[in-house]
Amino acid sequence: MQRQPLTEWVRERDDPKIANTRPEALDDLTILDLSYNNYGGCYCTSLLSELGAQVIRIEPPEGDFLRTCTPYGLLHKNEGLVYLSEGRNKFHVTLNLKDPKGREMLKSLAAQADVLVETYHPGVMDDWGIGYEQLKEINPRLIFASISPWGQFGSRSKNKMPDYENIAQARGSIQYATGEMLPEGKTYDECPWAVPTKAGPWISWASAGTFMAAGILSALYYRDRTGEGQALDVATAEAYANFDDWGVLIYQEHEYIVERFGSLDQGAWIYCFAPTKDGAVFIGGLRLEMWQAFADMVGKWDDWGAADFEHLGDFMGKEAQLKWAPLVFAETRKYTTDELVAMSLKYGKEGRLAPITPVIAPVCNPMETMTDANWLDRGMFTPVDDPVYGPVVVVQSQYKMTETPPRVKWVCRPVGYDNDFIYLKYLSLGPTRLTKLKEAGVV
Amino acid sequence: TWRNYKENKNSRPAPLKGIKVLEVATLLLGPGGPGFLAKLGAEVIKCEMPPMGDTLRSLVPFGFFFREHGCGLTHPNLSKYWIGLDLHKPEGQKVFRDLAVKADIIEENMRPGVLEKWNVGYRQIKEINPRIIYISKNGYGQWGRYADENRPSNDGGSQAASGFAWMSSFPGKPPLKSRLYTADAYGGLMGEIPVLAALHYREKTGKGQYIEMSQTESLMRTMSWVWPYQGITGEPAMPSGNRDQCVCPADTFRCVDDTFVAIAAPAPEEFKGLCTAMGKPELAEDPRFKDHLVRLQEENAVAILGIISDWVRTMTFDHVMSLAEEHGFAASEIRSARDIAEDPHFRERDYITEIDDPLDGPMINYDFPVMMSKTPPRVNWSVRPVGFDNEYIMAQVLGKNKQEIKQLYECGALGKWADVKGRRPATTWDGKTGLILSREPGYTDGGRGE
Repeated sequence: MQRQPLTEWVRERDDPKIANTRPEALDDLTILDLSYNNYGGCYCTSLLSELGAQVIRIEPPEGDFLRTCTPYGLLHKNEGLVYLSEGRNKFHVTLNLKDPKGREMLKSLAAQADVLVETYHPGVMDDWGIGYEQLKEINPRLIFASISPWGQFGSRSKNKMPDYENIAQARGSIQYATGEMLPEGKTYDECPWAVPTKAGPWISWASAGTFMAAGILSALYYRDRTGEGQALDVATAEAYANFDDWGVLIYQEHEYIVERFGSLDQGAWIYCFAPTKDGAVFIGGLRLEMWQAFADMVGKWDDWGAADFEHLGDFMGKEAQLKWAPLVFAETRKYTTDELVAMSLKYGKEGRLAPITPVIAPVCNPMETMTDANWLDRGMFTPVDDPVYGPVVVVQSQYKMTETPPRVKWVCRPVGYDNDFIYLKYLSLGPTRLTKLKEAGVV
Repeated sequence: TWRNYKENKNSRPAPLKGIKVLEVATLLLGPGGPGFLAKLGAEVIKCEMPPMGDTLRSLVPFGFFFREHGCGLTHPNLSKYWIGLDLHKPEGQKVFRDLAVKADIIEENMRPGVLEKWNVGYRQIKEINPRIIYISKNGYGQWGRYADENRPSNDGGSQAASGFAWMSSFPGKPPLKSRLYTADAYGGLMGEIPVLAALHYREKTGKGQYIEMSQTESLMRTMSWVWPYQGITGEPAMPSGNRDQCVCPADTFRCVDDTFVAIAAPAPEEFKGLCTAMGKPELAEDPRFKDHLVRLQEENAVAILGIISDWVRTMTFDHVMSLAEEHGFAASEIRSARDIAEDPHFRERDYITEIDDPLDGPMINYDFPVMMSKTPPRVNWSVRPVGFDNEYIMAQVLGKNKQEIKQLYECGALGKWADVKGRRPATTWDGKTGLILSREPGYTDGGRGE
């Protein structure tokens, strides 16, 4: 085929640099985001707003508590950094849902919306008269999406305990089985780091938000064909837990509970983090030949008898891994991270088992990631020049599309910033009437 | 709205009913996305390279099999149709292209360019089906320096290169890899957002498109504040173990009996509640702690977390939990896989769902974690040996007769399992159960006479 190389062809069509010249997949949607102190809700509507949906964030007059969740209390132009990233592309209005007048206004907005996202405890929206059963009477096409700690039904759904990232992570089964093993004969007091360890980033909230976004889009497809809206229910305790691939399966078959195994892997060999002269690398080889290639690459083909390795299973057991890991680490400590990465690429070209080679990747700190030319070239950290907050680096969308590429137009807005525009657009409330509502504490 | 949800699950349509998906993918990242679509009601045909099939079949954690297949295989592969199709062969490519004409979505996770070499890349498929939505998932994306270098990648590499692992460790300790294949699992899900959005766009315009997703970039996207923090301060973001730097207090603590408890209490009422529970209500008024933004400052956060940690060390787990209920702050045990498997709440919701599989027998697994009132997702069946559904798909979708199917076997385009545990059916299989179309001996194995 005499055509342009594929990489060029793709880049010409999906490079974020040209995103603004392309259509948007969801620009016919209006979404109300009522989430409060809930990153999952915010993240969900961020994903949809990147695809062009008009998202209206509805905050109580004092603003969302999430705006105060920021590392070490650091603010940028009076804004918390989490919110600075996740307020992206949204219009921000205030509305007092505790006031009956405020709830009437919400109903008017819901009548004109396609999707509503909310994160109050189950029953709160119903008590306010703006639950799904009530709003579907006004707008049967509405997709009503609720994110809550335990879901909308089931005995624990009544529980009123607040929901946070570290709580949701604890409720999945992943934190339990992640972390360093307590060294033999040591106590937790001596090794306070050898405990069940959660992921640092808010992956649990992100999972809940992403699952809900997938649910909303599936419901949208159904609505496209039938005209019917519906209610959706995500429990944060279920969302992150869903990524467990075999813990529940092994337990039901063997009554074996997956425990912590440090940076080794119970499901694969060789598949671990290993120390280097100046940091650490990930080594990955899911096939016997890749493990052999690793042995060869570090000059241990003969010493380790790699030619005679027969079954990967011989290395996968716990005892075997604990025996081999220190031998591997002794080798990786002889090189820098960069050297090991280069060695694996070279081995893939010239090694005895080439093109087979172990996957070696540097364990980066996020500053190294953020300054990596590859990611910069792919537009991941292109700053957003925000009219309020100035140029800000936030991470861009994590996928690229040839017809309807995602984009970040602005980062966030101060509380109530878009009251004038949104209430004028949807409720025809001009300055005179809006001022009265403000004075009455409704917006 | 939710009354009898579990009982009525199968009395309603699934949301993606009628959507047809083709999958050419191995391990977790690639199969994960179509796996979610299958739970949402799409018909997913998984194409494996015969006779060994998906590398994931080799993933046997600590040697534990599940009904004679690898424990890892099930999670991303429920409710799919399985064909063994050799895409190196022109006849195999022809079969794939015939299937692609009728498909809505194609998902793949080979290295860039591999499918084009097999004549089933996006540029080739769109010629025969311009409505196709085609997604490629991998570690580094389709273009850029790493793609040009043809760097191999996988989950651990993405956890490492994204900074995600760095941020998930204890300060001063070596970076920690998650027990979870986070980049695979999350990437598998994330790719379906643009796919489903593209479906909506296609409903409006008739146009398909090509989508690429890097699982490394996908993890970066979850690290929200890290990037503006680095942009503003010029410093690398640092890990902090179980402590959440953005929410205070939020950490994992150790009780008197050495069980662990996660606690969070940042909002004013919650923090007051926690201070009262600790018998120190005055802390809620302490100028170091009163305001969340001030409390988050390093020195103050360390101080209040120290106070809470000392208190929890004197408490039993049950006592902490009852105080949390009473005083309105958040607390949780660190739940294991057993706690999930046996959670009665998850059973009530049918989130942990019972599958009655013709091959694997009764089992539990996860349903899609979005309950949908009109179109409930569901899980119908478990995983299959390599090429198990060849006859059904060839006859039902492509209308091929016995003779034509036989020819495809003879030229090697179609194939079935190797006689290897995890690839073949369980030893207890009777040669019929679970087959959809043809149950005659000598036909189902493509005339190999096994």
